[in-house]
Amino acid sequence: MSQEGRAKLGRILLFLGRIALAVIFLAAAYGKLKPLGNMHWSVASAKTSLAMFAMQVDSYQMLSQSGVNFVAFYLPPFELLLGLWLLSGITLRFSSLITTLLFGGLFGVVARAYILRLPINCGCFGPSEQLTIWTVIRDGSMLAVSLAVTVGAFLVARKRIPAEVPVGTPTPQRAD
Amino acid sequence: MTLFPRLRSGLGAFIPAMCTLALVAAIAWLAPRNAAGHAQGQTQAATPAKAISGGSAKKSAKPVAEEKLGPPNKGLGNPSAPIVMEVFSDYMCPQCRNFYMNSLTYMMQDYVTLGKVYLVHRDFPLPIAQHKYNWDAARWGTAAARIGKFEEVDRALYVNEPAWEADGDIQRIVASVLSPADLKRVQKQVAPCLNQTPANLRPTAPAGSSCSLDAFINQDMALGKAVPVQATPTYVITNKGNRIPAGSGYVSWPIMKQFLDSLASQ
Repeated sequence: MSQEGRAKLGRILLFLGRIALAVIFLAAAYGKLKPLGNMHWSVASAKTSLAMFAMQVDSYQMLSQSGVNFVAFYLPPFELLLGLWLLSGITLRFSSLITTLLFGGLFGVVARAYILRLPINCGCFGPSEQLTIWTVIRDGSMLAVSLAVTVGAFLVARKRIPAEVPVGTPTPQRAD
Repeated sequence: MTLFPRLRSGLGAFIPAMCTLALVAAIAWLAPRNAAGHAQGQTQAATPAKAISGGSAKKSAKPVAEEKLGPPNKGLGNPSAPIVMEVFSDYMCPQCRNFYMNSLTYMMQDYVTLGKVYLVHRDFPLPIAQHKYNWDAARWGTAAARIGKFEEVDRALYVNEPAWEADGDIQRIVASVLSPADLKRVQKQVAPCLNQTPANLRPTAPAGSSCSLDAFINQDMALGKAVPVQATPTYVITNKGNRIPAGSGYVSWPIMKQFLDSLASQ
């Protein structure tokens, strides 16, 4: 494959990875916010869904009551925003870096629960998802993809910056 | 175009790594979701909301009527409460005890006695070698439920679990909360069960067992498998007929209370 072809493939893979991560976060946010059972969409039903998610967060037995509520009520909207940010592709380096850090944290939490053999639901994509070895593998794989996208985004950005600066342009001096 | 030479070295390693990782992620993603989806589909087909609340257990149960006793009543509170919570539990599971002691006890005080929640115990003795007496404990609880003394015995079994898990002397614990007459009625039901082959390593009680109590425990387990219960404690909450997806594991009381309040406001 030619150099141009490789570069093109790299960009395509970066694009696909970014879209995959965006879809994962949007699906995760949707799974946590969607009405339980046969309830209808409303602010009240979303609050109930988040209260259900709070029970799942609490079952990890890691956080205080206020910590549980903070995570349960702020994580899903954050996932929604992060998913949209990834989808937009704006400043991919930073969105993918945050994604990797978040996945790293979630992977650690899930792995800890699995090692401790806590009989709990994952809560990753909504209720009723038992935490098993597959959950750990899946979260680890998503972390790896996120890491790859982050590295790719930084590589592309690093290559792009010198190309955008015309040769011979004087380096701007700092004001201070 | 100036990008290629610089990208060449990085992409050589990056592209195959990315493909491999995406493939692994896709496999890991699909495998459990298909399994869960299949199980969930079976649940919905096999178990309507009413069946999970005990309707089918009462219909199909035909125990040997030693004293013309009916099926066990393991429900606490008002059966017509808007919220019904069924807890699938193993008396020897530490998380179940923790859940009972630190969450359900408070729920019984604040919600069950006030008629806001109907709490139903479901036996789900796990096939774990260390849980030597979980079937026996379930039998004692079930026998007590058949004479209307479930609440007292259930509490005694959980609270004193560290005491009886060592020697299996559950009768001593049950005797401490029942009158001599009630204890005799319970003993009479449990007696045919106790000297049988250890049941804790079997998924269900043996066919043709002389222990009539095992039939009731098996019914609870069948309901649990339909949920599907994969670990204990697992709780199934139904609000005004609307079944909420099952939850699992220990949940502290303030967080559970928050959810119940939110649910009640719907």
